[in-house]
Amino acid sequence: MADKKIHEDQKYIEGLLQNNSFIIQAVYDKFVPKVINYIKQNSGSEASAQDIIQETLITIYNQAKEKNLQLTCPFDAYFFLLCKRKWLNELKKTNSKEVTINEAVLSKDDNALELADETELFEDKQQLFNQMFQQLGTACKDLLKATFKIKSMEEVAKSLGVTYAYARKKKSLCIGKLTELVQASPKYNQLYN
Amino acid sequence: MNDQDYILFEGYISKTLAVEERVDFENRLISDEAFNQAFITYKDLNVFLEQKFENENASIAFKDNLDTISKAYFKTESKTTKGVHFAPWKYAIAASVALLMGYFLFNNFSDPSYNDFSNHDSISLIERGTQVTAVKTAETSFNTKDYIAADIAFDALLQIDSTNAEYQFYKAIANIELDKFEEAEGLLHILKSGQSIFNQKAVWYLALSKLKQKDYEACIVILNTITEEAEDYKQAQKLLKKLD
Repeated sequence: MADKKIHEDQKYIEGLLQNNSFIIQAVYDKFVPKVINYIKQNSGSEASAQDIIQETLITIYNQAKEKNLQLTCPFDAYFFLLCKRKWLNELKKTNSKEVTINEAVLSKDDNALELADETELFEDKQQLFNQMFQQLGTACKDLLKATFKIKSMEEVAKSLGVTYAYARKKKSLCIGKLTELVQASPKYNQLYN
Repeated sequence: MNDQDYILFEGYISKTLAVEERVDFENRLISDEAFNQAFITYKDLNVFLEQKFENENASIAFKDNLDTISKAYFKTESKTTKGVHFAPWKYAIAASVALLMGYFLFNNFSDPSYNDFSNHDSISLIERGTQVTAVKTAETSFNTKDYIAADIAFDALLQIDSTNAEYQFYKAIANIELDKFEEAEGLLHILKSGQSIFNQKAVWYLALSKLKQKDYEACIVILNTITEEAEDYKQAQKLLKKLD
């Protein structure tokens, strides 16, 4: 990715990151109508479009925050592709019949395809991580929450009434436990090949 | 992997390993594939947890803001779509109304009034957890123009969620309707300098508040600060012309 030029539409990503209402509004005004049209033409309603769009923007926000997302294609192409794939997945879940993809509106932009793939992978990982986190015991969950919220391990140890050394060790073992849960999941190979 | 491996992972990430241990660790990443794989997942999880908990408040703020904007957008969107199914007889009425309005605008014989410009749509508030009943009361009272009840309901909501821009904005409108200008303008000034989607709308309602008080000079000054990008720019220009 490093050798690719960052697209000027990176401003939309930065705007989302800063929770800038004007930029979010601009995304709705400029890019959302196309998505609504597509979803409506493909057995969806306005309400389903609203959900798909919101979920997609949250994923983009998370990826930008966590992985420093750099846009190498127009925002429109990337955003539309993500919403479209999300909608088709939704249809597959609820519909037993074959879903037909309107190829005419598929993006021809390679950068957009590549970026959308990365975002999808990111989202799948997030889902898996969240599911596995829920499977941890309460003690691990509380310790990890405290560790990442408070930052200072000394304070974490104090707040949980344990020694510093114990808190540190426990943190690594809890993430270790989580690592094992993730690696044991059937989805693991799909996500890390 | 055993416990010792995970302790090593943590040490490597937090850069607390001694130089020799670090070199050993990096060599093992190359020679031991299972160790390497587990470390990659461990690292991913570390970043994931950091984002999940450290930035939790920022994430919630983003989701709330997105929700408000999305809701507002889709409200107007469905209104536009409904316009397509307009019954023909309604066109006749709309045309007569337009003619009538044109007549009044053309015969600019009186000062513009607050009622000419204050056309608030029905509102649909976002429900948050435990406040569902209060939200419904606020919404219904506002939509039925029972501004006294709406004002009380918004007060109750703001006691729980004092920085909620949506409640502040509609409470301000209710207060203009009730001629409680000082309170209304106080809220609108807060919104004007805030980051919510209501910050431009707040300026427009500040102007309307002045208009209702017949403080035309102040109204003109405020109207002139409304920029072309603002949703109410056209209305603002129209009002400015009438005030000239």
